[in-house]
Amino acid sequence: MTVHTGRPAADGVLPHEWLYARLSLYLRRAPETIDPTVPFAEYGMDSVAALSLCGDLEDEFGLEVEPTLLWDHPTVESLVRHLSSVLPAAPAHARDRH
Amino acid sequence: MSEPRFATFTELLRARAAELADEDVHVFLRETAGGTEAEHLTYGRLDREARRIAAVLQEYDVAGRPVLLVYSSTVEFLKAFAGCLYAGAVAVPVPIPGEAGRDQRLGRTTAVLGDTGATLVLTETAAAPEVALWLARNSRPDAACLVSDMPGVGDADAWQPVTARPDDLVFLQYTSGSVCEPRGVTVSHRNLLANQAALQKVLHTTREDRFGSWLPYFHDMGLVAHLLHPVWLGTHCVQVAPLSFVKHPLRWLQAVDRYGVTVGGGPNFSYDLCARRVKDEQIAELDLSRWRLALNGAEPVRPESLDEFARRFAPAGFRPEALYPCYGLAEATLVVSGGVPGTPHVRKDFDRTALEHDRVLGATAGGRARTLVGCGTPVDVEVRVVDPLTHHELPPGTVGEIWLRGHSVARGYWRRPTETAHTFRASLNDEESNFLRTGDLGMLEDGELFVTGRLKEVVIVNGRNVYPQDVEWAARTVSPALTFGAGAAFSVDAGGEQLVLVQEVRGAGGAELRTVAQRIQALIGKEFEIPAGNVLLVRPGTVRRTSSGKVQRTLMRGLFLDGVLRGDYEVLTPDVRALARPQDVLFGEDLLRPEGADGGRRW
Repeated sequence: MTVHTGRPAADGVLPHEWLYARLSLYLRRAPETIDPTVPFAEYGMDSVAALSLCGDLEDEFGLEVEPTLLWDHPTVESLVRHLSSVLPAAPAHARDRH
Repeated sequence: MSEPRFATFTELLRARAAELADEDVHVFLRETAGGTEAEHLTYGRLDREARRIAAVLQEYDVAGRPVLLVYSSTVEFLKAFAGCLYAGAVAVPVPIPGEAGRDQRLGRTTAVLGDTGATLVLTETAAAPEVALWLARNSRPDAACLVSDMPGVGDADAWQPVTARPDDLVFLQYTSGSVCEPRGVTVSHRNLLANQAALQKVLHTTREDRFGSWLPYFHDMGLVAHLLHPVWLGTHCVQVAPLSFVKHPLRWLQAVDRYGVTVGGGPNFSYDLCARRVKDEQIAELDLSRWRLALNGAEPVRPESLDEFARRFAPAGFRPEALYPCYGLAEATLVVSGGVPGTPHVRKDFDRTALEHDRVLGATAGGRARTLVGCGTPVDVEVRVVDPLTHHELPPGTVGEIWLRGHSVARGYWRRPTETAHTFRASLNDEESNFLRTGDLGMLEDGELFVTGRLKEVVIVNGRNVYPQDVEWAARTVSPALTFGAGAAFSVDAGGEQLVLVQEVRGAGGAELRTVAQRIQALIGKEFEIPAGNVLLVRPGTVRRTSSGKVQRTLMRGLFLDGVLRGDYEVLTPDVRALARPQDVLFGEDLLRPEGADGGRRW
């Protein structure tokens, strides 16, 4: 199984559409209403939503992330910046998922 | 299979240990990089470890006194719990305090430490530094911290057996009550054994059943139904850590598959989480056909969640009749009612408007209907539906407060005689006494219990009971502009229960308001672990109070839903906006946001 959820963003290997789709699911709002500079908490982010996204990131990209990730990087912008710096150079979508 | 020969749970455990020494009592699945690693605990080892821990406890003269249990491993927790039984101590299961438990601001565990007056905390090596630091911070140098899994601590042969009586306490459940006013439900051996027998009758459990859980041990449904009921039966439970489950719900389902779990469940939201997070290709690899009771309790049961779970997991062999809504509460030890195992649960359509006013009418053609899921038939407990004001029993088919009486009903709240008298010793029709007031609203129809709402102001989201006064208190700490402002927290039903906070603000305006709201939202989302998508910052004097100063939350909720209450700054989730601001939604979203409607993301 491969990750083919969208074009890789110009600034990293994290597919933006995938990220917005997950956030849209957990925050229960349309992806186009999520502003990349607005804190997740303003959209009603709670621990279950935050941990769910942590779990997704671990599954999709083989990362090991701290449970506090989304509180330490509380907007799409800062989260993407952080993930771009920790994601491996090789595109994740070549890797088998378990 | 009721076993009246046991007068206490301690006697029962000792008998099981003798009879089933080499059998598993518990399997803990520890999260590792590549998945999970199983740690087994047998009945024989549990007994030995309990004697060893009890021997240490006895040096502290703990008989009849509370001992806090702070663990991450349920194997270590069970040993310590049994150790408390063997020493005659009162076990108090609590979450890990401090940074690791993300509990620093709220101090739930700190509140329990204070309320119990405990001077002894049992923990494990992994959590010990955190616990020691927390005790030091809270200026409790008199409280000792014992690390129960440290090698060489205690001598099992030094243990002096203690003879417990049926009315001695086994544990305190701090699942109800707020942080400001914690309430420990006092559960005796008699209560626990009565509720175990009721669980067996409700669920038709036998020693052939296997239990599978992800619930924390300090949750009443986790402790009583998943950790202790298998012991009562003489079988075992497979446990996934709560954090693993929320991150990877698949882990729980994999445990159900691999260990042949037949009974296990959690609050409604756990089924949403599974349906939402587990992928089709993962479902294809699961066999859930042996799962006969997927318990759904501890928060309102939603028919949509049941349907979606049944639909998604049908390919894994999951049977829709395994969905098992049930009702219980810590004050009744746990279980009150449940359906008939192996048969579909009961659903009924009611008139939504009537229900909103706590009345019952069958749904009419063309009227707005709300489908309620029945919570089954009460077992081994007297259930009455009562007018909460007059304390008179109401006729069948009427909504009222659910009152209970029976051996499962706990003795009261720890060291709180006034609250105990009010909640546990209510008099019905001025003649019958000693009823428990549940604070839940519901009705009985043809013997089926429907829970329709709640008299108490607690907000239940993600299986958590959150008290409005705690939210209001915590919110005021985020900014000096809020220190002297009143707040009102309540919940509304918008495709699920959602929290709304109305908070007065002084001396702040413009862009500052948004920052203040964001701080409140982050605090609630992180510390209370529930979404805070709805915050209204209002002018001083907006939050209505009684002459004695009590916040009128129900009144504020009504004003909000009627669209009368608006904030100088407000942020609402789309669902709640549609409910309270239907006009605005018609015209386009976010009209009332100070930044205007152009805040949307462009990409």
